Amino acid sequence: MNMDLSLERLLFNLNTLAELGEEITSPKDFNKVVKSSLYMVMGSFSASKGLIFQFDQDGRCFHPIASKGLGDINGVGIKISPEAVKELIKNNKPIDLKSNEHPVPLLGAARGEFEKLGSRIVAGLIVKDELLGLIAVGDKFTGEDYSVYDLQLLSVMAQHISFSLHSHSLLMKLMHKFTENKGLYDNLRRIYYDTIHAFAAAIDAKDAYTRGHSHRVSAYSAVLAREMGWDKDAMEGIRIAGLLHDIGKIAVDKTIINKASPLTTMECRELNSHPVVGYEILSKIKFPWKGIPMMTRNHHEKVDGSGYPDRLKRQEIPMGARIMALTDAFDAMTTDRPYRPRLSFREAIGEIKDNFGKQFDPEAVGPFINVIRKEVLGEVDSPTIVPLLQEQLDSITIHRMLDGFPEAII
Amino acid sequence: MGKNRNYREAGDSVILYPENYINDIEGEKLEDMCDIFLARGFKKIIIDFSETDLINSIGVSIMIGIIEKIKDKKGLILFSGLKKVNHDIFSIVGLTKHIPVFSTEKEALDVVSCEDRLPM
Ligand SMILES: [Fe+2]
Repeated sequence: MNMDLSLERLLFNLNTLAELGEEITSPKDFNKVVKSSLYMVMGSFSASKGLIFQFDQDGRCFHPIASKGLGDINGVGIKISPEAVKELIKNNKPIDLKSNEHPVPLLGAARGEFEKLGSRIVAGLIVKDELLGLIAVGDKFTGEDYSVYDLQLLSVMAQHISFSLHSHSLLMKLMHKFTENKGLYDNLRRIYYDTIHAFAAAIDAKDAYTRGHSHRVSAYSAVLAREMGWDKDAMEGIRIAGLLHDIGKIAVDKTIINKASPLTTMECRELNSHPVVGYEILSKIKFPWKGIPMMTRNHHEKVDGSGYPDRLKRQEIPMGARIMALTDAFDAMTTDRPYRPRLSFREAIGEIKDNFGKQFDPEAVGPFINVIRKEVLGEVDSPTIVPLLQEQLDSITIHRMLDGFPEAII
Repeated sequence: MGKNRNYREAGDSVILYPENYINDIEGEKLEDMCDIFLARGFKKIIIDFSETDLINSIGVSIMIGIIEKIKDKKGLILFSGLKKVNHDIFSIVGLTKHIPVFSTEKEALDVVSCEDRLPM
Protein backbone atom coordinates (compact mmCIF):
# COMPACT_ATOMS: atom_id res chain seq x y z
CA MET A 1 0.00 0.00 0.00
CA ASN A 2 1.12 3.51 -0.81
CA MET A 3 2.08 5.27 2.40
CA ASP A 4 1.95 8.88 1.31
CA LEU A 5 -0.78 9.52 3.84
CA SER A 6 0.69 12.57 5.48
CA LEU A 7 -1.47 14.66 7.75
CA GLU A 8 -1.32 17.43 5.16
CA ARG A 9 -2.63 15.14 2.46
CA LEU A 10 -5.50 13.96 4.67
CA LEU A 11 -6.46 17.51 5.56
CA PHE A 12 -6.33 18.57 1.94
CA ASN A 13 -8.62 15.69 1.03
CA LEU A 14 -11.00 16.32 3.91
CA ASN A 15 -11.20 19.92 2.89
CA THR A 16 -12.02 18.93 -0.66
CA LEU A 17 -14.70 16.55 0.61
CA ALA A 18 -16.25 19.36 2.62
CA GLU A 19 -16.17 21.66 -0.39
CA LEU A 20 -17.66 18.96 -2.56
CA GLY A 21 -20.45 18.47 -0.04
CA GLU A 22 -21.08 22.21 -0.09
CA GLU A 23 -20.94 22.35 -3.87
CA ILE A 24 -23.51 19.63 -4.50
CA THR A 25 -26.00 21.15 -2.07
CA SER A 26 -25.51 24.66 -3.42
CA PRO A 27 -28.25 26.21 -5.53
CA LYS A 28 -25.78 26.74 -8.38
CA ASP A 29 -26.44 25.77 -11.94
CA PHE A 30 -26.26 22.00 -12.37
CA ASN A 31 -23.63 22.09 -15.12
CA LYS A 32 -21.36 24.23 -12.97
CA VAL A 33 -21.79 21.91 -10.01
CA VAL A 34 -20.85 18.88 -12.11
CA LYS A 35 -17.88 20.66 -13.63
CA SER A 36 -16.60 21.86 -10.25
CA SER A 37 -17.04 18.38 -8.82
CA LEU A 38 -15.00 16.87 -11.64
CA TYR A 39 -12.24 19.43 -11.13
CA MET A 40 -12.17 18.71 -7.41
CA VAL A 41 -11.75 15.01 -8.04
CA MET A 42 -9.06 15.58 -10.66
CA GLY A 43 -7.23 18.07 -8.43
CA SER A 44 -7.23 15.59 -5.57
CA PHE A 45 -5.44 13.01 -7.67
CA SER A 46 -3.57 15.43 -9.94
CA ALA A 47 -5.12 13.73 -12.95
CA SER A 48 -4.86 15.59 -16.23
CA LYS A 49 -7.86 13.99 -17.96
CA GLY A 50 -11.31 13.28 -16.65
CA LEU A 51 -15.00 13.05 -17.46
CA ILE A 52 -18.37 12.72 -15.80
CA PHE A 53 -20.97 10.80 -17.78
CA GLN A 54 -24.71 10.70 -17.33
CA PHE A 55 -26.84 7.81 -18.41
CA ASP A 56 -29.20 8.75 -21.18
CA GLN A 57 -32.38 6.70 -20.91
CA ASP A 58 -33.42 7.27 -24.52
CA GLY A 59 -30.14 6.37 -26.21
CA ARG A 60 -29.33 3.77 -23.53
CA CYS A 61 -25.84 5.21 -23.51
CA PHE A 62 -23.48 7.23 -21.26
CA HIS A 63 -22.86 10.80 -22.46
CA PRO A 64 -20.23 13.16 -21.01
CA ILE A 65 -21.73 16.11 -19.12
CA ALA A 66 -18.35 17.50 -18.03
CA SER A 67 -14.78 16.90 -19.11
CA LYS A 68 -11.31 18.34 -18.69
CA GLY A 69 -8.08 17.88 -20.58
CA LEU A 70 -9.77 16.31 -23.61
CA GLY A 71 -10.64 19.13 -25.98
CA ASP A 72 -13.80 18.63 -28.02
CA ILE A 73 -15.71 15.54 -26.99
CA ASN A 74 -18.99 16.33 -28.70
CA GLY A 75 -20.81 13.25 -29.85
CA VAL A 76 -19.04 10.87 -27.47
CA GLY A 77 -21.35 8.21 -26.10
CA ILE A 78 -20.39 4.94 -24.48
CA LYS A 79 -22.64 1.92 -24.52
CA ILE A 80 -22.33 -0.57 -21.68
CA SER A 81 -24.10 -3.92 -21.70
CA PRO A 82 -26.86 -4.50 -19.14
CA GLU A 83 -24.82 -7.35 -17.57
CA ALA A 84 -21.83 -5.06 -17.12
CA VAL A 85 -24.07 -2.37 -15.64
CA LYS A 86 -25.50 -4.90 -13.21
CA GLU A 87 -22.03 -5.98 -12.13
CA LEU A 88 -20.80 -2.38 -11.80
CA ILE A 89 -23.66 -1.71 -9.43
CA LYS A 90 -23.02 -4.89 -7.46
CA ASN A 91 -19.29 -4.21 -7.31
CA ASN A 92 -19.88 -0.56 -6.30
CA LYS A 93 -16.15 0.33 -6.21
CA PRO A 94 -13.90 2.23 -8.59
CA ILE A 95 -12.37 -0.05 -11.21
CA ASP A 96 -8.91 0.13 -12.72
CA LEU A 97 -9.14 -0.28 -16.49
CA LYS A 98 -5.56 -1.52 -16.57
CA SER A 99 -6.40 -4.48 -14.37
CA ASN A 100 -8.31 -7.52 -15.42
CA GLU A 101 -10.24 -7.73 -12.21
CA HIS A 102 -13.95 -8.34 -12.28
CA PRO A 103 -15.99 -6.60 -13.68
CA VAL A 104 -13.49 -4.88 -16.01
CA PRO A 105 -13.55 -7.59 -18.74
CA LEU A 106 -17.33 -7.32 -18.88
CA LEU A 107 -17.00 -3.77 -20.26
CA GLY A 108 -16.07 -5.20 -23.65
CA ALA A 109 -15.71 -2.55 -26.33
CA ALA A 110 -16.54 0.20 -23.83
CA ARG A 111 -13.17 -0.41 -22.21
CA GLY A 112 -11.37 0.67 -25.38
CA GLU A 113 -13.58 3.75 -25.65
CA PHE A 114 -12.69 4.80 -22.14
CA GLU A 115 -9.03 4.27 -22.89
CA LYS A 116 -9.32 6.42 -26.01
CA LEU A 117 -10.49 9.21 -23.68
CA GLY A 118 -7.41 8.73 -21.53
CA SER A 119 -9.40 7.16 -18.70
CA ARG A 120 -7.68 4.95 -16.20
CA ILE A 121 -10.06 4.61 -13.23
CA VAL A 122 -13.85 4.49 -13.58
CA ALA A 123 -16.32 4.80 -10.70
CA GLY A 124 -20.07 4.32 -10.91
CA LEU A 125 -22.42 7.08 -9.79
CA ILE A 126 -24.95 4.88 -8.11
CA VAL A 127 -28.06 5.76 -6.17
CA LYS A 128 -30.37 3.10 -4.85
CA ASP A 129 -29.07 0.36 -7.14
CA GLU A 130 -29.31 2.51 -10.22
CA LEU A 131 -26.27 3.48 -12.29
CA LEU A 132 -27.01 7.16 -13.00
CA GLY A 133 -23.62 7.94 -14.45
CA LEU A 134 -19.89 7.38 -14.33
CA ILE A 135 -16.84 9.35 -13.40
CA ALA A 136 -13.62 8.53 -15.20
CA VAL A 137 -10.16 9.88 -14.40
CA GLY A 138 -6.91 9.48 -16.28
CA ASP A 139 -3.43 8.72 -15.04
CA LYS A 140 -1.84 11.00 -12.49
CA PHE A 141 0.16 13.88 -13.87
CA THR A 142 2.97 12.93 -11.50
CA GLY A 143 3.32 9.45 -12.97
CA GLU A 144 2.54 7.86 -9.60
CA ASP A 145 0.08 5.02 -9.45
CA TYR A 146 -3.32 5.14 -7.74
CA SER A 147 -3.14 3.80 -4.19
CA VAL A 148 -5.80 1.86 -2.31
CA TYR A 149 -6.42 5.04 -0.35
CA ASP A 150 -6.94 7.01 -3.58
CA LEU A 151 -9.56 4.53 -4.71
CA GLN A 152 -11.37 4.80 -1.37
CA LEU A 153 -11.35 8.57 -1.61
CA LEU A 154 -12.65 8.41 -5.17
CA SER A 155 -15.40 6.12 -3.99
CA VAL A 156 -16.47 8.65 -1.33
CA MET A 157 -16.35 11.49 -3.85
CA ALA A 158 -18.34 9.47 -6.37
CA GLN A 159 -21.06 8.97 -3.78
CA HIS A 160 -21.21 12.72 -3.23
CA ILE A 161 -21.52 13.35 -6.94
CA SER A 162 -24.18 10.69 -7.44
CA PHE A 163 -26.29 12.53 -4.94
CA SER A 164 -26.09 15.63 -7.10
CA LEU A 165 -26.93 13.67 -10.22
CA HIS A 166 -29.81 12.01 -8.47
CA SER A 167 -31.42 15.19 -7.19
CA HIS A 168 -30.95 16.73 -10.60
CA SER A 169 -32.68 13.90 -12.42
CA LEU A 170 -35.44 14.03 -9.83
CA LEU A 171 -35.79 17.72 -10.44
CA MET A 172 -35.91 17.09 -14.15
CA LYS A 173 -38.78 14.72 -13.64
CA LEU A 174 -40.39 17.30 -11.37
CA MET A 175 -40.42 14.87 -8.55
CA HIS A 176 -39.66 16.65 -5.35
CA LYS A 177 -39.19 13.78 -3.02
CA PHE A 178 -37.70 15.99 -0.39
CA THR A 179 -37.79 13.57 2.47
CA GLU A 180 -36.22 10.84 0.42
CA ASN A 181 -33.43 13.14 -0.63
CA LYS A 182 -32.89 14.23 2.87
CA GLY A 183 -32.31 10.61 3.81
CA LEU A 184 -29.73 10.39 1.07
CA TYR A 185 -27.98 13.45 2.32
CA ASP A 186 -27.85 12.02 5.82
CA ASN A 187 -26.08 9.11 4.19
CA LEU A 188 -23.51 11.46 2.77
CA ARG A 189 -22.85 12.89 6.17
CA ARG A 190 -22.38 9.34 7.33
CA ILE A 191 -19.68 8.91 4.68
CA TYR A 192 -18.01 12.12 5.75
CA TYR A 193 -18.23 10.99 9.34
CA ASP A 194 -16.67 7.62 8.49
CA THR A 195 -13.74 9.34 6.80
CA ILE A 196 -13.10 11.43 9.90
CA HIS A 197 -13.60 8.39 12.08
CA ALA A 198 -10.82 6.56 10.29
CA PHE A 199 -8.66 9.61 10.81
CA ALA A 200 -9.48 9.80 14.53
CA ALA A 201 -8.40 6.19 14.90
CA ALA A 202 -5.02 7.30 13.56
CA ILE A 203 -4.83 10.00 16.26
CA ASP A 204 -5.65 7.51 18.99
CA ALA A 205 -3.11 5.06 17.63
CA LYS A 206 -0.38 7.50 18.56
CA ASP A 207 -1.46 7.27 22.16
CA ALA A 208 -1.00 3.66 23.21
CA TYR A 209 -3.00 4.00 26.41
CA THR A 210 -5.99 5.83 25.12
CA ARG A 211 -7.06 3.73 22.21
CA GLY A 212 -10.64 4.60 21.48
CA HIS A 213 -10.48 7.80 23.56
CA SER A 214 -11.61 10.09 20.73
CA HIS A 215 -14.33 7.66 19.80
CA ARG A 216 -15.69 7.59 23.35
CA VAL A 217 -15.43 11.36 23.89
CA SER A 218 -17.34 11.75 20.64
CA ALA A 219 -20.06 9.30 21.66
CA TYR A 220 -20.39 10.66 25.21
CA SER A 221 -20.52 14.27 24.02
CA ALA A 222 -23.20 13.57 21.42
CA VAL A 223 -25.39 11.78 23.97
CA LEU A 224 -24.91 14.55 26.50
CA ALA A 225 -25.69 17.20 23.87
CA ARG A 226 -28.91 15.38 23.01
CA GLU A 227 -29.82 15.20 26.68
CA MET A 228 -29.28 18.97 26.84
CA GLY A 229 -31.73 19.44 24.00
CA TRP A 230 -29.36 20.15 21.11
CA ASP A 231 -30.79 19.61 17.64
CA LYS A 232 -29.61 16.84 15.37
CA ASP A 233 -27.28 19.02 13.33
CA ALA A 234 -25.53 20.50 16.36
CA MET A 235 -25.24 17.01 17.81
CA GLU A 236 -23.49 15.79 14.66
CA GLY A 237 -21.13 18.75 14.98
CA ILE A 238 -20.07 17.88 18.50
CA ARG A 239 -19.76 14.23 17.49
CA ILE A 240 -17.21 15.27 14.87
CA ALA A 241 -15.51 17.66 17.30
CA GLY A 242 -15.18 14.80 19.79
CA LEU A 243 -13.44 12.69 17.17
CA LEU A 244 -11.04 15.49 16.33
CA HIS A 245 -10.54 17.23 19.68
CA ASP A 246 -7.05 15.79 20.23
CA ILE A 247 -5.92 16.16 16.61
CA GLY A 248 -3.27 18.65 17.82
CA LYS A 249 -1.50 15.75 19.52
CA ILE A 250 -0.30 14.76 16.06
CA ALA A 251 2.28 17.49 16.54
CA VAL A 252 3.28 16.35 20.04
CA ASP A 253 6.17 13.94 20.45
CA LYS A 254 4.86 10.40 20.97
CA THR A 255 7.22 9.75 23.87
CA ILE A 256 5.72 12.66 25.81
CA ILE A 257 2.18 11.39 25.32
CA ASN A 258 3.07 7.91 26.53
CA LYS A 259 5.48 8.92 29.29
CA ALA A 260 4.82 7.30 32.66
CA SER A 261 7.00 9.63 34.76
CA PRO A 262 6.10 13.26 35.49
CA LEU A 263 6.65 15.67 32.60
CA THR A 264 9.25 18.44 32.59
CA THR A 265 8.05 22.03 32.15
CA MET A 266 9.03 21.94 28.49
CA GLU A 267 7.28 18.64 27.87
CA CYS A 268 4.20 19.88 29.65
CA ARG A 269 4.18 23.01 27.52
CA GLU A 270 4.44 20.92 24.39
CA LEU A 271 1.57 18.65 25.44
CA ASN A 272 -0.57 21.62 26.44
CA SER A 273 -0.12 23.16 23.02
CA HIS A 274 -2.38 20.51 21.47
CA PRO A 275 -5.68 22.44 21.71
CA VAL A 276 -4.15 25.44 19.93
CA VAL A 277 -2.42 23.29 17.32
CA GLY A 278 -5.70 21.45 16.80
CA TYR A 279 -7.55 24.73 16.42
CA GLU A 280 -5.06 25.92 13.83
CA ILE A 281 -5.42 22.73 11.82
CA LEU A 282 -9.22 22.59 12.00
CA SER A 283 -9.88 26.27 11.41
CA LYS A 284 -8.51 25.76 7.90
CA ILE A 285 -11.19 23.20 7.11
CA LYS A 286 -14.65 24.15 5.96
CA PHE A 287 -16.92 21.86 7.95
CA PRO A 288 -20.62 21.47 7.25
CA TRP A 289 -21.04 21.88 11.04
CA LYS A 290 -20.42 24.97 13.15
CA GLY A 291 -17.99 25.54 16.00
CA ILE A 292 -15.65 22.56 15.63
CA PRO A 293 -12.37 24.54 15.75
CA MET A 294 -13.39 26.49 18.89
CA MET A 295 -14.66 23.39 20.69
CA THR A 296 -11.26 21.83 20.03
CA ARG A 297 -9.39 24.90 21.19
CA ASN A 298 -11.29 25.21 24.45
CA HIS A 299 -11.73 21.60 25.57
CA HIS A 300 -9.21 22.08 28.39
CA GLU A 301 -10.72 25.27 29.77
CA LYS A 302 -12.16 25.18 33.30
CA VAL A 303 -15.26 27.12 34.32
CA ASP A 304 -13.35 28.93 37.10
CA GLY A 305 -10.95 30.35 34.50
CA SER A 306 -7.92 28.25 35.50
CA GLY A 307 -7.77 26.13 32.35
CA TYR A 308 -5.86 26.59 29.10
CA PRO A 309 -5.14 27.97 26.53
CA ASP A 310 -7.36 31.05 26.87
CA ARG A 311 -8.20 30.92 30.63
CA LEU A 312 -11.84 31.51 29.79
CA LYS A 313 -14.57 31.55 32.45
CA ARG A 314 -17.83 29.65 32.36
CA GLN A 315 -20.03 31.67 30.00
CA GLU A 316 -17.08 32.58 27.79
CA ILE A 317 -16.38 28.93 26.99
CA PRO A 318 -18.43 27.57 24.07
CA MET A 319 -21.04 25.14 25.43
CA GLY A 320 -19.64 22.38 23.22
CA ALA A 321 -16.21 22.83 24.80
CA ARG A 322 -17.74 22.67 28.29
CA ILE A 323 -19.40 19.40 27.32
CA MET A 324 -16.17 17.99 25.94
CA ALA A 325 -14.15 19.15 28.96
CA LEU A 326 -16.43 16.96 31.06
CA THR A 327 -16.60 13.90 28.81
CA ASP A 328 -12.86 14.10 28.05
CA ALA A 329 -11.97 14.17 31.75
CA PHE A 330 -14.53 11.48 32.54
CA ASP A 331 -13.04 9.14 29.93
CA ALA A 332 -9.50 9.96 31.04
CA MET A 333 -10.43 9.05 34.62
CA THR A 334 -12.25 5.83 33.77
CA THR A 335 -9.51 4.38 31.57
CA ASP A 336 -5.93 3.35 32.39
CA ARG A 337 -3.24 5.94 31.76
CA PRO A 338 0.54 5.53 31.57
CA TYR A 339 0.90 7.38 34.86
CA ARG A 340 -1.95 5.76 36.82
CA PRO A 341 -4.55 2.99 36.71
CA ARG A 342 -8.15 3.91 36.01
CA LEU A 343 -10.50 5.14 38.73
CA SER A 344 -13.70 3.29 39.50
CA PHE A 345 -16.91 4.86 38.27
CA ARG A 346 -17.70 5.99 41.83
CA GLU A 347 -14.30 7.59 42.25
CA ALA A 348 -14.63 9.36 38.89
CA ILE A 349 -18.04 10.75 39.82
CA GLY A 350 -16.48 11.77 43.16
CA GLU A 351 -13.86 13.77 41.26
CA ILE A 352 -16.55 15.44 39.20
CA LYS A 353 -18.39 16.26 42.41
CA ASP A 354 -15.25 17.78 43.98
CA ASN A 355 -14.64 19.90 40.91
CA PHE A 356 -18.25 20.80 40.28
CA GLY A 357 -18.44 24.49 39.41
CA LYS A 358 -14.63 24.75 39.40
CA GLN A 359 -13.44 22.59 36.53
CA PHE A 360 -16.81 21.37 35.28
CA ASP A 361 -19.91 23.24 34.29
CA PRO A 362 -22.99 22.39 36.39
CA GLU A 363 -25.09 22.89 33.25
CA ALA A 364 -23.35 19.89 31.72
CA VAL A 365 -22.79 17.76 34.83
CA GLY A 366 -26.52 17.56 35.69
CA PRO A 367 -27.67 16.17 32.33
CA PHE A 368 -24.61 13.90 32.14
CA ILE A 369 -25.45 12.21 35.43
CA ASN A 370 -29.07 12.10 34.43
CA VAL A 371 -28.42 10.35 31.15
CA ILE A 372 -26.12 7.78 32.80
CA ARG A 373 -28.82 7.10 35.35
CA LYS A 374 -31.41 6.64 32.62
CA GLU A 375 -29.13 4.27 30.77
CA VAL A 376 -28.51 2.12 33.85
CA LEU A 377 -32.18 2.03 34.76
CA GLY A 378 -33.05 0.97 31.22
CA GLU A 379 -35.02 4.12 30.47
CA VAL A 380 -33.39 4.65 27.06
CA ASP A 381 -33.70 2.41 24.00
CA SER A 382 -30.04 2.04 23.16
CA PRO A 383 -27.57 3.02 25.87
CA THR A 384 -24.32 4.59 24.65
CA ILE A 385 -22.21 5.52 27.67
CA VAL A 386 -22.75 2.52 29.95
CA PRO A 387 -21.66 -0.16 27.43
CA LEU A 388 -18.40 1.74 26.87
CA LEU A 389 -17.49 1.74 30.56
CA GLN A 390 -15.16 -0.90 31.93
CA GLU A 391 -17.34 -1.83 34.88
CA GLN A 392 -20.90 -2.97 35.40
CA LEU A 393 -23.14 -0.38 37.00
CA ASP A 394 -26.16 -1.26 39.11
CA SER A 395 -28.97 0.90 40.39
CA ILE A 396 -27.44 1.07 43.89
CA THR A 397 -24.21 2.64 42.59
CA ILE A 398 -26.37 5.00 40.58
CA HIS A 399 -28.43 6.10 43.56
CA ARG A 400 -25.31 6.57 45.65
CA MET A 401 -23.53 8.58 42.98
CA LEU A 402 -26.00 11.37 43.44
CA ASP A 403 -25.11 11.83 47.12
CA GLY A 404 -23.42 15.08 47.78
CA PHE A 405 -24.50 16.88 44.61
CA PRO A 406 -26.57 20.03 45.06
CA GLU A 407 -30.18 18.98 44.65
CA ALA A 408 -30.87 21.56 42.01
CA ILE A 409 -28.90 19.74 39.34
CA ILE A 410 -30.90 16.53 39.22
CA MET B 1 -6.82 41.73 -8.16
CA GLY B 2 -4.32 43.23 -5.79
CA LYS B 3 -2.32 44.74 -8.61
CA ASN B 4 -3.98 46.44 -11.48
CA ARG B 5 -2.65 44.04 -14.09
CA ASN B 6 -2.91 40.37 -14.77
CA TYR B 7 0.06 39.80 -17.01
CA ARG B 8 3.36 41.31 -18.05
CA GLU B 9 5.40 40.55 -21.14
CA ALA B 10 9.19 40.40 -20.81
CA GLY B 11 10.95 39.52 -24.04
CA ASP B 12 9.95 36.02 -25.07
CA SER B 13 8.48 35.34 -21.61
CA VAL B 14 5.20 36.30 -20.08
CA ILE B 15 4.39 36.55 -16.40
CA LEU B 16 0.83 35.86 -15.34
CA TYR B 17 -0.66 37.11 -12.09
CA PRO B 18 -3.64 35.02 -11.00
CA GLU B 19 -6.46 36.22 -8.75
CA ASN B 20 -6.46 36.10 -4.94
CA TYR B 21 -8.41 32.88 -5.00
CA ILE B 22 -8.12 30.02 -7.43
CA ASN B 23 -10.86 27.94 -5.96
CA ASP B 24 -13.68 27.71 -8.48
CA ILE B 25 -14.13 27.18 -12.18
CA GLU B 26 -13.81 30.93 -12.76
CA GLY B 27 -10.11 30.26 -12.24
CA GLU B 28 -10.09 28.74 -15.69
CA LYS B 29 -9.68 32.31 -17.02
CA LEU B 30 -6.01 31.80 -16.27
CA GLU B 31 -5.96 28.78 -18.56
CA ASP B 32 -7.64 30.84 -21.29
CA MET B 33 -4.97 33.49 -20.86
CA CYS B 34 -2.25 30.87 -21.32
CA ASP B 35 -3.98 29.68 -24.50
CA ILE B 36 -3.84 33.20 -25.85
CA PHE B 37 -0.15 33.66 -25.09
CA LEU B 38 0.75 30.23 -26.43
CA ALA B 39 -1.16 31.03 -29.62
CA ARG B 40 0.79 34.27 -29.88
CA GLY B 41 4.01 32.24 -29.77
CA PHE B 42 5.16 32.77 -26.20
CA LYS B 43 6.95 29.64 -25.00
CA LYS B 44 8.04 30.65 -21.50
CA ILE B 45 5.33 31.27 -18.97
CA ILE B 46 5.89 32.28 -15.37
CA ILE B 47 2.95 32.22 -13.03
CA ASP B 48 3.54 34.51 -10.08
CA PHE B 49 1.34 33.65 -7.12
CA SER B 50 2.43 36.39 -4.76
CA GLU B 51 -1.07 37.90 -4.75
CA THR B 52 -2.77 34.51 -4.44
CA ASP B 53 -4.00 33.51 -1.00
CA LEU B 54 -5.86 30.31 -1.70
CA ILE B 55 -5.65 27.46 -4.17
CA ASN B 56 -7.89 24.44 -3.69
CA SER B 57 -8.33 21.17 -5.57
CA ILE B 58 -10.13 22.96 -8.41
CA GLY B 59 -7.17 25.32 -8.68
CA VAL B 60 -4.81 22.37 -8.79
CA SER B 61 -6.80 20.85 -11.61
CA ILE B 62 -6.64 24.14 -13.53
CA MET B 63 -2.86 24.34 -12.98
CA ILE B 64 -2.44 20.85 -14.36
CA GLY B 65 -4.49 21.86 -17.41
CA ILE B 66 -2.13 24.79 -17.97
CA ILE B 67 0.98 22.69 -17.48
CA GLU B 68 -0.22 20.05 -19.96
CA LYS B 69 -0.92 22.69 -22.60
CA ILE B 70 2.48 24.29 -22.20
CA LYS B 71 4.15 20.87 -22.34
CA ASP B 72 2.26 20.11 -25.57
CA LYS B 73 3.77 23.22 -27.12
CA LYS B 74 7.23 22.27 -25.82
CA GLY B 75 7.14 25.41 -23.74
CA LEU B 76 8.47 26.15 -20.30
CA ILE B 77 6.49 26.87 -17.16
CA LEU B 78 7.76 28.21 -13.85
CA PHE B 79 6.05 29.18 -10.64
CA SER B 80 7.09 32.00 -8.34
CA GLY B 81 5.98 33.81 -5.22
CA LEU B 82 4.07 30.85 -3.75
CA LYS B 83 2.86 31.45 -0.21
CA LYS B 84 3.54 28.61 2.19
CA VAL B 85 -0.02 27.25 2.20
CA ASN B 86 -0.07 27.14 -1.58
CA HIS B 87 3.38 25.63 -1.78
CA ASP B 88 2.20 22.94 0.65
CA ILE B 89 -0.78 22.14 -1.54
CA PHE B 90 1.34 21.94 -4.68
CA SER B 91 3.73 19.65 -2.90
CA ILE B 92 0.93 17.40 -1.55
CA VAL B 93 -0.36 16.82 -5.07
CA GLY B 94 3.16 16.39 -6.44
CA LEU B 95 3.37 19.50 -8.64
CA THR B 96 6.51 20.87 -7.02
CA LYS B 97 8.41 17.78 -8.12
CA HIS B 98 7.68 18.63 -11.75
CA ILE B 99 7.60 22.41 -11.97
CA PRO B 100 10.50 24.65 -10.95
CA VAL B 101 9.47 26.99 -8.15
CA PHE B 102 11.23 30.28 -7.37
CA SER B 103 10.69 32.59 -4.48
CA THR B 104 10.37 35.69 -6.63
CA GLU B 105 9.26 36.55 -10.13
CA LYS B 106 12.67 38.13 -10.71
CA GLU B 107 14.55 34.93 -9.89
CA ALA B 108 12.30 33.00 -12.26
CA LEU B 109 12.90 35.57 -15.00
CA ASP B 110 16.66 35.44 -14.48
CA VAL B 111 16.52 31.70 -14.96
CA VAL B 112 14.42 31.69 -18.12
CA SER B 113 16.75 34.23 -19.66
CA CYS B 114 19.56 31.75 -19.13
CA GLU B 115 17.96 28.39 -19.73
CA ASP B 116 21.05 26.28 -19.12
CA ARG B 117 20.82 27.13 -15.45
CA LEU B 118 17.38 25.68 -15.13
CA PRO B 119 17.42 22.97 -12.48
CA MET B 120 15.37 20.37 -14.28
FE1 LIG C 1 -7.08 17.06 25.04
